[in-house]
Amino acid sequence: MRPAGTGPGLPEGKDRDLDGLLALVARGDEGAFARVYDQLAGPVYGLVRRVVRNPAQSEEVAQEVLLEVWRAACRFDPTKGSAATWVMTIAHRRAVDRVRSVEASAEREQRIAQPIVHADDVASTVEASLEAERVRRCLDGLTELQRESITLAYYGGYSYREVSQLLSSTLGTIKTRIRDGLIRLRDCMGVS
Amino acid sequence: MRLSRADLHALTGAYAVDAIDDEPERERFERHMRRCQQCAGEVRDLTATATRLAFASSRPPPPDMRGTVLALVSQTRQLPPVVEHRGARSSAARAAWTGRFPMLSYAFAAACVGVAVVLLVVLIGTRQQLGRVQARNTALTAVLNAPDSRAVTQTTNDGGHATLVYSLRRHAMIFTSHGLPPPPPGKVYELWLIGPPHVRPAGLLGPGEAGRAGPILTTGVIKGDEFGMTVEPAGGTRKPTTTPILLIPLRA
Repeated sequence: MRPAGTGPGLPEGKDRDLDGLLALVARGDEGAFARVYDQLAGPVYGLVRRVVRNPAQSEEVAQEVLLEVWRAACRFDPTKGSAATWVMTIAHRRAVDRVRSVEASAEREQRIAQPIVHADDVASTVEASLEAERVRRCLDGLTELQRESITLAYYGGYSYREVSQLLSSTLGTIKTRIRDGLIRLRDCMGVS
Repeated sequence: MRLSRADLHALTGAYAVDAIDDEPERERFERHMRRCQQCAGEVRDLTATATRLAFASSRPPPPDMRGTVLALVSQTRQLPPVVEHRGARSSAARAAWTGRFPMLSYAFAAACVGVAVVLLVVLIGTRQQLGRVQARNTALTAVLNAPDSRAVTQTTNDGGHATLVYSLRRHAMIFTSHGLPPPPPGKVYELWLIGPPHVRPAGLLGPGEAGRAGPILTTGVIKGDEFGMTVEPAGGTRKPTTTPILLIPLRA
């Protein structure tokens, strides 16, 4: 297992920086928070936008996430993972909460009606970056079912039950594909 | 549905990407993870892997978001750290003190009683008020510190911003707002808890409170409630009579 505090999200040095900044944020340092914002607002907004899609709602959710980072900074535990991972976990959870809360509405039906996520657009609408390129290469190395399961679950915000329905596979298969797909991604991206 | 250990273990990936939407199932997995170090380690790695997917979709946020977030930050109190109870230590210290200077501590105690009596007389008039303020502060702190407390900020239909901090476990929420336009003459903003059993009034914003209001503490929040805000005649109503300008589901 990888040593505490070195996350995979960013080059290690930058990640350490973030861990340190978050410790300052926990003590109420607004300047440190502004630096955390500058490093993470893009990834937070980009992820939320991919899941939520609606720009106004995405902005609201992204704001909520960043405010939560400020509010709960002292609850960040570097022994459980990097600061980047902590923040992006909050972002993903909030984005997923937002799309699931409109479950019964027409918006949701529309989301379900059109399979909106393609592995192809993983990097097409985002800032071109080496990281995106590397992630895309690693996604390309997965089987189609692994890739689709992970993309729908992570970027689409679908539960594994919904993914199993969308891909007409059993629950057990989807569960396993998400897991072994992520493990393969981990190894491909050198997370460990 | 009973899940075997192997079934539970296979959920590490789905858990890492928040794809378990069935709450009992998620709780069962979390319980399992507390005992299964291997699962916890795997979840940690796979969550970190998912973070890479997040960074791959980075995108410049709207330019005015930075100012908004930094302004909100300067108005938002942070959660306190989780601390261990110090009760044991302080009672040991007290024992050492009284052991060494028994007479002094009796004299001190007597003096304290005297002071307390004087203070009691002086404070008797304001005690009740103080008690109310303290109770309110305690209640506010309890919501902010609740392990399940969540903060949600949302824009109202008329362009204001409302922030709710709530805890379903404490059955309470705190409402604050800024940038709300003044309500039309003779009207007020009214807050509601909209629940499956019924709709309950949850407080009024006075006419002067439109710009910046709160914190308003409301108790009796239950699972499944939705928070709402409407414009109502001055004095408030028993039930909402207009379309809500803000609706926030209070999710666990």
